[in-house]
Amino acid sequence: MRFVIIGAGRVGLRTARVLRDEGHEVTLVERDEPRVQRARNEAFTVVEGDGSREHSLEEAGIAEADALGALTGDLNVNFTACMIAKHYGCRTVMRIDEAYREEIYRKYADEVDEVIYPERLGAIGAKNALLGGTIRAIADIEQHLQVVELTITDAAPVNGYTISELELPADSRVLAFGKHDGELELPGEDESLEVGDRLVVLADFEVLSDIRQLLVGESASQAVANAGSGSGGVN
Amino acid sequence: MVTAFVMVKANTGEADRLRTEMEAIEGVRSAHIVAGDVDIIAKAQVDTPAAVKEIAATKIQGIDGVEGTQTYIAMD
Repeated sequence: MRFVIIGAGRVGLRTARVLRDEGHEVTLVERDEPRVQRARNEAFTVVEGDGSREHSLEEAGIAEADALGALTGDLNVNFTACMIAKHYGCRTVMRIDEAYREEIYRKYADEVDEVIYPERLGAIGAKNALLGGTIRAIADIEQHLQVVELTITDAAPVNGYTISELELPADSRVLAFGKHDGELELPGEDESLEVGDRLVVLADFEVLSDIRQLLVGESASQAVANAGSGSGGVN
Repeated sequence: MVTAFVMVKANTGEADRLRTEMEAIEGVRSAHIVAGDVDIIAKAQVDTPAAVKEIAATKIQGIDGVEGTQTYIAMD
């Protein structure tokens, strides 16, 4: 696919690298000269200019692009770029700078298909690393829906159960299962859950703490303390 | 008559509620949720500059979820 990324800073450039690694075509738009140079040194195609100007986006090939990522730290630039890109029929992804704005842009900004708040996943990742690695956030699917990987511990109530015996709360699904030394695979019913095994679960934030109690064996108070990754929990 | 535009920075996602509460303030003619560094722009029309201050500094800043305001008085 073809992508235009506005902003070659810490978020934009990393996103461009990941997309290129996966074989996509990426053009960056950046107005800061040292950043333009840095991206060009990595052999990226970079348009030097203001991402909120239509001619910069045209030069970057917005007419042929599938999607635009407006990933600068400037909300006005990001929003304007999305408006222009939408006009050209692109899918649009906008970076925001504060958690509370997520709700506002999702509701009001028709020009913006997806809102990204990079600090949120960073904070969840840092928190999980600090807690010791039995729970790992993989992705926020929606504001209230998260994919997490959990590692079964000694204290887990389900230790010794099979997958078919596992009763998770209604708003959750097991997506993948991996033995402690194996790769993640689609879950088979007869596999038993043992210490060190990993489960990837899609769950609503509401039930995440219940799931953690079942699979990791956290106490209720720990689970409450670890829950708050939904709106307002990570700012 | 004094016309003023009040830029409002929020700290909550409840933009609808903020807009409704602002529009209920006497002297506020309209309020719009906007994209960018501020979240809502309210337009006020009142008799005196002192009344502008009353609206911006007391009433709007008194709404729960409003972090700050910046007011511009029209010169035309």
